[in-house]
Amino acid sequence: MILELEDAVKRYDSGEETLTVIDGVDFGVERGEFVTVMGPSGCGKTTMLNMLGLLDEPSEGTVRLKGEDVTGLDERERTRARKESIGFVFQYFYLIPSLTAEENVEAPTVFSGGSGGRAAELLEKVGLGDRKDHKPNELSGGQKQRVALARALVNEPDVLLADEPTGNLDKGTSKRALEQIRSVCDEGVGVVAVTHDERVKEYSDRDVQLDDGVVV
Amino acid sequence: MARRNIMRNSLRSALACFGIVIGVVAIASLGILGFTLQAGFMDNMGDVANQIEVTPASGGDDPMGGTPTEDTLSDRDVRDVRQAAVGASVLPVKEEVVEIEYGTSSVTRTAYSVPEPDALFDAEEGRVPAQMSSGVLVGSTLAETTEVNVGSAVTVDNSSYRIVGILEEEPWTAPLNPNFGIIVPEGELRDEEYSSVIVEDESAEAANSTAQRIDESMNRRDDVVEVQESSEMIENIQEQQRLLNLFLIGVGSISLFVAGVSILNVMLMSTVERREEIGVLRAVGVQRTSVLKILLAEAALLGFVGGAVGVAFSILIGGVINHFMLEDALMVFRPANLRYLLTAMGFAVGISLLSGAYPAWKAANKRPVEALRG
Ligand SMILES: Nc1ncnc2c1ncn2[C@@H]1O[C@H](COP(=O)(O)OP(=O)(O)OP(=O)(O)O)[C@@H](O)[C@H]1O
Ligand SMILES: [Mg+2]
Repeated sequence: MILELEDAVKRYDSGEETLTVIDGVDFGVERGEFVTVMGPSGCGKTTMLNMLGLLDEPSEGTVRLKGEDVTGLDERERTRARKESIGFVFQYFYLIPSLTAEENVEAPTVFSGGSGGRAAELLEKVGLGDRKDHKPNELSGGQKQRVALARALVNEPDVLLADEPTGNLDKGTSKRALEQIRSVCDEGVGVVAVTHDERVKEYSDRDVQLDDGVVV
Repeated sequence: MARRNIMRNSLRSALACFGIVIGVVAIASLGILGFTLQAGFMDNMGDVANQIEVTPASGGDDPMGGTPTEDTLSDRDVRDVRQAAVGASVLPVKEEVVEIEYGTSSVTRTAYSVPEPDALFDAEEGRVPAQMSSGVLVGSTLAETTEVNVGSAVTVDNSSYRIVGILEEEPWTAPLNPNFGIIVPEGELRDEEYSSVIVEDESAEAANSTAQRIDESMNRRDDVVEVQESSEMIENIQEQQRLLNLFLIGVGSISLFVAGVSILNVMLMSTVERREEIGVLRAVGVQRTSVLKILLAEAALLGFVGGAVGVAFSILIGGVINHFMLEDALMVFRPANLRYLLTAMGFAVGISLLSGAYPAWKAANKRPVEALRG
């Protein structure tokens, strides 16, 4: 396993009540494997992905990255681990509006010497070679998605985490996006996609259902 | 990246910069104004700091019912002063109101006589002789109003003289100030007694102890004389100027402080606005320190630009002040003024950094999940 959750629990304290969103999840992904996590809206998919991506800590349980327990790491080490091993495609893309497509792809690397041309290469690869100098507000939803994918890959991650990769896209665009994610996976990157879109399953090696905070 | 973020909110950033500009201009130009006042004063008064004026003790009636004090000094008093002020030159001054005729007009003014007038005065025109015999020296203001020249003849109380020199303007702190009067040869005035004695010492410090000695030896029993040091007067004025300077700089600092608050506001607003972007950067592996650095760089850049513009304006304003007060606009580049400019610049960047620090720290330390949640 490249990345796994072991008996992970996530609770949110909101005043009097405690909301248990994830309630004892065991989950893992291998190198070169594409896993889909299915579930209805609000069931805790993003929460689970955030724990996998070291953005959020589980209330209980363990997170393992390349076999190493990374649950108790401090913020600095977690940030480094994110940078070195994990690529994110966020639910709402979260591109930086003041930067061009290429600069957005390069953003994760600017504080460590730049991407050395890799950003442009990746944009070519996702078919946006001619949109490098466009700002996000000049791009369509599908194009933004592809910029976000290129950004996730710029640091050559071991795992790609995608939150609703087809969420805001029409059928044709979704198909193209999933094909690209699939090809990333075929190059040996582990992929976890969380979604409520059944079509994602067609491209994945394995799918799990998240229900009431547990994986079925 | 820092620059681009500032450009994005150019209006707001410009306003914050403008605040810094005002603060810097306030600090620097008020500082320069104060220093210029001081410099102008020192140009005029600096060279009389080593002089002491000994005058008859005023005070009219003796409170103990003794003999009323006189308003002149006798030969004996002058001898006493000489004894106390060894090593310094002692110049007894006589003074008398006289009628001065020149051309076809006449004025009533004070005539002074003093030995060695060249020790005290310099000539604007003509010369100041060491020993005066048949000529007179005309004070600067009197020369201006009467329009007399070196070489022309004047009549002082019915005796004729030739003008040998026109004096430079004397500072008002000088013990003997003949700007409005005339200096005649010794022995020309009828009065036997002296109105004052000027003691000129080597330095202000020496004058200080000499003044003390004169006071101790002559005023042992009664207050016979009053001893006034020019340096003391000058020091008082300087002290007041220092206070004025501090006040001016204080006013400037307050405006810079206000500018700092507006930078704080700009930075807070812009970090709130960019919460999401910062969250993304953090999520994709940018360290907190890097985020902190870029935000601080933004604040410093605001401060630097504001400071630079402010310094430019201050040099302009300082040049104008110096032009009118010291008649040399380039005096603004004196080291002391440059120090004000540098200080103001340092303050600008410092305050910007300081007020940028809190928002930057806050933004950098926000957990990315929180920043990214809708
Ligand atoms: N910080 C929080 N505090 C309290 N409750 C939270 C917090 N974050 C998430 N939740 C709750 O956890 C549950 C799961 O949220 P999550 O965002 O993981 O859902 P999701 O499966 O990703 O939904 P969607 O498909 O709509 O994106 C929701 O009910 C949400 O209200
Ligand atoms: Mg979600």
